[in-house]
Parts: sequence; C-alpha cells; structure tokens
Amino acid sequence: MNIVMLAGFLAIAPPASVRGYDTPDDGGRSITLEWTLSPDDGVIERYEIYRSCNGVDYEKIGVMGRGRGLFEDDTEDRRQYYYKVAAVADTARAFSEPSAPVMSSAQWLNRKKINIIVAVAVFGGLILLFIQRARRGQKLFVRKIAGLQAIDDAVGRATEMGKPILYCPGIGYIEDIATIASLSILGEVAKKCGQYNTELINPHFDPIVYTVAREIVKESYASVGRPDAFDPDSVYYVTDSQFAYAAAVDGIMLRERPATNFLVGWFRAESLILAETGASTGAIQIAGTDQVSQLPFFVTACDYTLIGEELYAASAYISREPLLLGAIKGEDWGKVIIGAIIIAGSILGLLTAFPILRLFD
Amino acid sequence: MKAIDLLTKIDRRIIYLILFAVVTLPIIFPSVKSVRVMPPVEKLYAAIDNIPEEKALIIDFDYDPQTLPEIEPMAFAVLRHAFTKRIKVLALSLYVQPLGLAQNALVSVAEEFNVAAATREDSIIYGRDYVFLGWQPPPLIPILGMGESIVNVYKTDYYGNRTDTLPVMKEIKNYGDVGLLVSLSSGDPPKWWIEYAQNRFGVKVGAGITAVSASEFYPYLQTGQFSGLMVGMKGAAEYEEEVESNLGIKVRRKASESLPSLTYAHVVIILFIVIGNTGYFISRRRERRLS
Amino acid sequence: MKRNFPLLLVFVFGVLGIIPFIIPHPVVQGTDEFLRNNLLKILAAFALILGLGSLLRVHFDKIKRRGQNWEYSWVLIATFIVTSIIGLFGGVSGTGILPTRIGSFAFDIWTIYFNVEVPLGAAMFALLSFFMASAAYRAFRARSTQATLLLTAAFVVMLGVLPLGNEISPHLPSFAQWIMDVPNVAGQRGILFGVALGMIATALKIILGIERSWLGGGGE
Repeated sequence: MNIVMLAGFLAIAPPASVRGYDTPDDGGRSITLEWTLSPDDGVIERYEIYRSCNGVDYEKIGVMGRGRGLFEDDTEDRRQYYYKVAAVADTARAFSEPSAPVMSSAQWLNRKKINIIVAVAVFGGLILLFIQRARRGQKLFVRKIAGLQAIDDAVGRATEMGKPILYCPGIGYIEDIATIASLSILGEVAKKCGQYNTELINPHFDPIVYTVAREIVKESYASVGRPDAFDPDSVYYVTDSQFAYAAAVDGIMLRERPATNFLVGWFRAESLILAETGASTGAIQIAGTDQVSQLPFFVTACDYTLIGEELYAASAYISREPLLLGAIKGEDWGKVIIGAIIIAGSILGLLTAFPILRLFD
Repeated sequence: MKAIDLLTKIDRRIIYLILFAVVTLPIIFPSVKSVRVMPPVEKLYAAIDNIPEEKALIIDFDYDPQTLPEIEPMAFAVLRHAFTKRIKVLALSLYVQPLGLAQNALVSVAEEFNVAAATREDSIIYGRDYVFLGWQPPPLIPILGMGESIVNVYKTDYYGNRTDTLPVMKEIKNYGDVGLLVSLSSGDPPKWWIEYAQNRFGVKVGAGITAVSASEFYPYLQTGQFSGLMVGMKGAAEYEEEVESNLGIKVRRKASESLPSLTYAHVVIILFIVIGNTGYFISRRRERRLS
Repeated sequence: MKRNFPLLLVFVFGVLGIIPFIIPHPVVQGTDEFLRNNLLKILAAFALILGLGSLLRVHFDKIKRRGQNWEYSWVLIATFIVTSIIGLFGGVSGTGILPTRIGSFAFDIWTIYFNVEVPLGAAMFALLSFFMASAAYRAFRARSTQATLLLTAAFVVMLGVLPLGNEISPHLPSFAQWIMDVPNVAGQRGILFGVALGMIATALKIILGIERSWLGGGGE
C-alpha cells in the first residue's frame, strides 16, 4: 500500500508480476527473472533489480534498460532468493511486490537440443541400417566419381614419365574431416607409389597431420611389401603460415616438376596459387575440398575436382569396403529426407502465403 | 590462324603486365567517389548503432597481413563508429598473427580521437573505453568460456594488466553484457562465433569478411544469424561511407581509394575472358567448316 | 593392441566431445573444460615441437648429403635460430633481457614481423589477382549452355559489386545482389547440407571405428 501511495505521489507505476525461476536447460547457478513492464515504461530511465536471501534485506544486483522485462542473475545453487524490481525515474523509485522464493539448480539435459539429438539419432540409425545390410552381403551402388577413378591413371602417368607425385593435403588440422579424408586418399596413393616405385613428395602445414601422414605412408609402403622403398624425408613439415606454405609448395612444383599434383584437403585463399602454378608446369591435377569458396578455383585450374562429400566418400569408393559403402548410402538417404522436408515445408509456406488458403494458421 | 593464336594464346606475362598497370596507376593517382551502401552493410551499421549504453561491442580481429588491405579499413571504420558513439569495445583475437594488427588499429584510431579531444572525457582511454584482451589458445576455448566469464578466460589483457581491475571489465561480465560481436576475419571464425557463441549464449554476431569467402557466408546473413555483413573492399568502402555521412567523420578512406583499382582490374579480367572466348568461337567455327 | 588402443581412445574422447553439447550439468561441463583448456593446449605445444624437429631434421639432412639447393637450407636454419632467440629473449617490443636495438635500428620480434612477414605474406596474397586473371583467361570458355549461363552470371556479379555497375545501370547492383542472395545461396545451401551430413557420417564412422584409414596401413 505504501509503495502504491508513493508511486502515485511520484507519478510512476511500479513493474508487476515479478517472477523468478531456475534458468532452464543450463548447468545451474542462474535464475531468470521476468516482470511485466511498468505502465510508465516510456518515461522511466531504467529498471533496477534487487535481491535478498532472507526476504528482508535487499541489495541492488543489476540494471536493465526500459522496455526490457528479463534479467538473468548469477546465483549459488540450492539457496533461496527473493527479488524485487524497481522502476527508476530521476531519484524516484517504484518498487514491485517481492517475488516468491526461488532456487537455482543444474539440469542433466538441455531440452532445447532434443530436436538435434533426434535428427542425429535418425541419421545415425540410417547409416547403421545400411552398414548392416552391407554386412549381410547386399550390393550397394555408388556412382562414378571421375576424380577418384583418375587416381590410377595419374599415378601411372608419373611412373611412365619418371617424375614424382606431389601430394598436398591442404592447410587443415587433424580435426578437419577434409584432412582425414585426404589422408585416406594419401594412403591409397602411397600404396600405388610403393608398387610402381614412384617418388612421392608430401609437404605438410600442420605438425600433427604430418605425424599421422608419416605413419600412414610408412604403413602403406609396408602393406604392399615395399617397406624399403619408403623415404622418411618424402613426408615432411614445412610451416604453419598459410602463404609461406603456398610459396614452399609452388617452389617444389617449379623445381621438381611433378607429373601429377594432388591438392586434396582443406584449403583457403592459397588454393588458386597452388592450382595455377601446377597448371603452368603441365602436371595433371586432381583436387578435392569441402570449402565451397575454393571449389571454383579448383574446377577452373585442375583436371579433376572432388566436390564436397565426394571427398568424404573417397575412402569408401577406393577401398569398396561394404561397411564404408553402407555409410554413404545412409548419408544419401539422410539427404533425401532433408530434401523431402524442405519441399514439404516450401509447399506449406506457399499455401499460407495466399490469404484464401490460410488452412494451417 | 595467327590472329586466332593472338586471341587464344596471349602470353600470361602480358596479362600480368596489363593488370599491374591498371591496378597500380589509380593507387598512385588516388580519387574517392561516393559509394552506394547495400543492405548487408546498412544492417551492420544499424546493429552497432543500436547497441544499448550498458552493453559492449566485441571485435574479433582475425585477419592477417595478406588480407589486411580488405579488412583493416573495416576495422578502422567500425572503431571510429564505436568510439564516436562511446560504445565500450573489447578487442581480441583467436590467433597470434593478427595481434599486432589489432593493436595497430586500436592505437591508431584512439590516437585520432585523442588528438582532437579537448578534455579527458572526450578522450578514448584504455581500460575505461576499450580493452585489448589479446589471445588465448586454442580458438574454441575463449569462444565458449566467455559465455560464463570473460575475465576467467582472459585473466590478463594483452599488456599484462589484470582484467578484473579494468573499469570496463567491472561492468562487462560475459556475453549477457555484450550487445554485438563483430568478427573481422579472412577465414572461418565468423562461423565459429555463430556455432558456439550465438547458438549457446544468444550473442548477436556481425562479420567483415574477404570477398572470396562471400558466397559461403551469405546463407548466414539470410537466416538472420548475422546481424550484418561487410564483404571485401567494397563492403569496407560502404561502411566508410556510412560513417562519414552519418557521423560526419572525415578521414582518409583507404578502402574507397582502392575501389578504382578494383574496378579497372575487374574490367580487364572481363575483357580478357571476352577475348579468349572470341578466339575460341572463331577456332571452333573454322574446325566445323573444315570438317 | 596397436590398433585397438587408438580406436578405444578415439571412441572415448569422441563421446566425451558429444556429451557436453547435450548435458549442461557442471560435472560434465567441468570435465569438458578441463579437456579443452588443459589437455588440448598441452597436445598443441608438443605437436609444435614435433613439427619443428621434423623441419630442422629435413634441412640438416639436405645439407649433409648436399641435396639440390642445399645452401637455402642454411638460410632457413640460420633464420629460424636467430628469430627464435630474438622472440624468446628479446620480448615483444624489445622489453626482454636481450637488447634488440642498436641506436634507432630495432630488430625485436614485432619489428621483424611487421617488416618481413607482413610484406612477404601480402606479396604472396597479391599473386592471387594475377593468377585469377590468367586462370580466367585460360579456362573460362562458353563451351556449353550451362557454362554460358555461368559466365553471364559472373559478368553481372563482377560488374554489379563495383561502383561502375551502378553507373551502367542502377538495377545492376540489385540484380547482382539477387544472384548472390538467391541462386548462389540455394547452391551453397545444397553443398552445405551435403557437407554437414558427410561430416556427421564421417565423424560417426571414425568414433565407432568403422573408418580406420587414419590408422595407416591397409583395411582392418
């Protein structure tokens, strides 16, 4: 009653319906406060938020601008708090009624992510389903991918000409899926180099990728019975500076004149520098990346380009392992489902755009 | 036949020489023309302009020397905008290389204001008006950590000061106190800010990117995940135009000066493509007649 | 064991990376933060040492066996050592224990970076414009209907994003913007969907041990 009289005297109304609740879907230590804006929201300067642990002694903990009816407070879990919100105009303050006591706590599940969990589960399930089918012997068709089919010819060309093969895995890190896909292709190329005794040059941007690639190439040579042919210096770290790496690889292309260049992995702006220099030396070039901004450069300057997930499919395509082929099938069906949902959603959206046909309002 | 060879087999050195000339001459004899500002830049300008008084602007400096000509003018223009409107600025970088460039931009723009300032209140004071948080490895840690507490991630700033002692950091605790984050980058960081900072903590994100990456970032602008976007040198020139026309700040506009070079280079490339295709069509027609 | 242990590690850490996305509880988030804040930083530091070791070994070997252009290996090693000493002991702006100034001539790490690395990097990036011109001239041919359509769209966008486009026609910039906003975004989204699904599938295959090519050698 005192608050109402005071507010009436000062001509500003307090905010109402102050409600505090444990901030949902978080790790605790947070309470969200909501309130109905003061009817004088347009003339006040701000809202001040006050908090108490015993319902008696309040201290100011925060400020929100006018027009805002939401505040998040940092709290200790399992401790009761009471809140008041004051509308402030000059020196006048109109306090709300105190909120009910509220406690914060941590949640074990973020419900906002449930839709993502469901989507990943459906997608993962599809992949596992097709992997099971592949295990049972079902033949799975994968269309021709020109860039991957050309690997044999490309290696053969280098062998005939007596020139080396340059394999550049890009400037990605080991956690990049494109780099992992590139390393799987490197393994296959290394096997062929071992079989045909062709020199392989493999410069690296990242030290971790270099370490992994070295082991892959070594094991590949060993798997075709040519461990002696493996040259440890053929796989080496250069630099982790983007354009210094591009300069180094360009230098290799111009000095060593490889017959075949593989530019497969994660690239940025240096992609055209590499591809165009390679093209000027007359080498056959097979490129592949999932970076859409670099694809036009590779398509322009290289003979074969693996676009997006064609790169991820490389391991399955080359090895023809049923388990890996099954995963590709699962991916494709996932895309079909997404495509169908987009088309259905677009049709629904079109329907609701016509006033007469607002069937789904 | 010789004429067709001239059209289809121009020595690349001649192409490089012509391109060098058309790019260099406008830089030696600079001129600045007014630029039409497109909606993505208008949106970013409005987003920065509407940052509430109690909130901060985070600028992520993630460009390197190679992309400096495109992106540094964006940094200067955004800083001039923020300092004019007295928006608190937190600067950081997700990599080591851009740190020196970030410091250069902050110090240069602050100096511009301080030279013209009459009182301490008008000046741009480190710690009160802006903070340079520096770098913490690897990139994802600061992006995620700042959702809880910025001073916990950056315990000291770039200069070694304890961040919890700086006046700005006493008011700006985490993303909840950030009105907008602008990532000036030549790579993927703008996407990381959306994936981790915006998705988890709801912070608004804008970006300044290189022209070559534009196509992969437009989807994010369309969905509203980016509050605005500056693309390449033209985007920088548009923001310079906005700052000059709305705030009356008249300084050297580096991006706008470089636009003529960009224009003539584009025209030369188009001409060469036309020449190449002309030669191609002539030789194709001859082959058809012979066969 | 040689193959099973890495597979087990990948599975455990893969799952540990997914769980914090779904479970906000501090116990889970704290573990995730420890792994990211502490473990990853340590791994990154060791990897750098490995890489530098490899770099120096390759060049020392080249000098030893007098390989092609071995003299440049000396340049690399000498530059590496000098810059490392200046960086480690000279401080960022010459504030370390090693003096990095003779009169007005400074050679602290910041000066070296700004006067050597920055111009060199900018020079390499500048090459792109020349290579773009020569690649466009060499390869952009209207060989088919689609290629012609692509060329036309390229011309419209190239002119539309410049002030010149506005002078040719005030509608050109808007049309160029429409091409970037609609057909381009549609194509990009298609590729993005495929790449995103491919990433999920590949990551799942690696975590579950189905994809093992990163282990090296052949097949299983």
